[in-house]
Amino acid sequence: MSGAPAVVAEGLGKVFRPPAGLGEMLRGRFFGRPLVALTQVSFSVAPGEVVCVMGPNGAGKSTLVRILGGLLMPSSGSARVGGIDVSTGGAAFRHRVAFVVGDERSFHYRVSGRANLHYFAALHGLPAAEARRRSAALLERVGLGDAADRRYREYSRGMKQRLALARGMLADPEVLLLDEPTLGLDPRGARDLRAFLREQVVRTPGRTAIVCSNDPVEARALADRVLFLEGGKLHADAPPERIEAELGL
Amino acid sequence: MIWFWRVLSAFVRRELSALGGYRAAFVVRLLGLGLAVGSMIFLARFVGAAANPHLVGYGGNYLGFMVLGVLAAEFQQVGVSGLAQRIRTAQMMGTLEAELATPAPPWMVLGAPPMYEFGAAALRSTAYLVAATFLLGLDLKRANWGSVALAVPLVIGAFSGLGLLAAGTTMLVRRLNPVAMVIGSLSFFLSGVLYPVSVLPDWLRAVGRLLPLTHTLAVLRGALLVGAGPAALVDSFVALLIFASVLAPVGAGVFAFALRRARIDGSLSHY
Repeated sequence: MSGAPAVVAEGLGKVFRPPAGLGEMLRGRFFGRPLVALTQVSFSVAPGEVVCVMGPNGAGKSTLVRILGGLLMPSSGSARVGGIDVSTGGAAFRHRVAFVVGDERSFHYRVSGRANLHYFAALHGLPAAEARRRSAALLERVGLGDAADRRYREYSRGMKQRLALARGMLADPEVLLLDEPTLGLDPRGARDLRAFLREQVVRTPGRTAIVCSNDPVEARALADRVLFLEGGKLHADAPPERIEAELGL
Repeated sequence: MIWFWRVLSAFVRRELSALGGYRAAFVVRLLGLGLAVGSMIFLARFVGAAANPHLVGYGGNYLGFMVLGVLAAEFQQVGVSGLAQRIRTAQMMGTLEAELATPAPPWMVLGAPPMYEFGAAALRSTAYLVAATFLLGLDLKRANWGSVALAVPLVIGAFSGLGLLAAGTTMLVRRLNPVAMVIGSLSFFLSGVLYPVSVLPDWLRAVGRLLPLTHTLAVLRGALLVGAGPAALVDSFVALLIFASVLAPVGAGVFAFALRRARIDGSLSHY
């Protein structure tokens, strides 16, 4: 990989315009009050670097990673991930970037973890035999080998998060975007998952990772650097120790 | 294309695997099919008891007329609602965003489920036709299968165009499918699903000609019940060709616009 940044955001802004309610429509307005989620956010991430995006609820963390994952279009500014503009994206972009959705609804709950992973492997273009091999290896790696054939709905929250990580690693991406990977886990489950993330996922040589979290422990455990967002603006960009000191976290 | 077949086969395997958890629903559905066939038998006996001048053009056979009407209407329902239903479910379940985050292009992510539904509808239709032929004496000996083969891609093109239009509208208005509801109701009323269009007043018949199902039924009934060749059905073939040529690109355009809007307003992950 060259020395060019793996992720670059320049003046990123996002304004949501929710559909109007009936009352506003009757007054001739089709959109409700605009909601500013991000304002002029600029930063870059070097290849192999692990960055934690922190901030209170509603700070714009999920909006930022969704934009970087190509799932949401910015209202202003631009971003490049792996050298590709996120707004144009395409298959090449998604082969290099994986977005690990923390939402546990993102799998088919009536089929097994293995069947779910096979389907996503097909969406990554893997032939059936390769999909089976890769899924089995990843299920072992995330500690779900014994539970691979249980239905997804029977999984605990931690198991669901691990399956989401396995899905994110199907294509062995250069850039991994994780949206609150330990959200909703009990302290022990969160600690185990953080250890797993550090040792098996984000610290893979050459892999760049951006992890959204509002947990300073997570930032200290995983990140080289922390971006602190508040009210959609970038308030601080520093190593985890300094963020804790500066913001009193 | 190989990639799409991989996605389709993985999707079918996943759905079949999920069916294992729906055994009771599967039995209820089979029972429903049986009752539907039973209703058709008695309705056909009732309507077909006396000669009916409106059925002369269809070989005088109400059973065949009705079975084909119901099958074609179901195909239209699958085509028009399949994709929209799939999007609504995926948004509500939360799978859509995760699927669109993969390298597979959106048409591939969203195209496999309607194809599966079309396949399932084709299997059901075949079962209906076989049952009607062997149990109820439906006579398809004169069928012109060449006309049917010619019609299939045109019908799929027209219904898929409507499906894309309905799916795009569903994403834009975030309600289930106003297009499908309007098209479905109008078609049932004006396309001649249960009764020949010849019983309608002229002005309603003219409106009915603007619906793809009307021409689909004309071709299928003409080909299967009286053995009509493409030359005898040319008007309906041309109409279906126009519907497919116009609706498919318009539907694709509306759908692409709706998907872009969803990426702007962040509605991929909620409904």
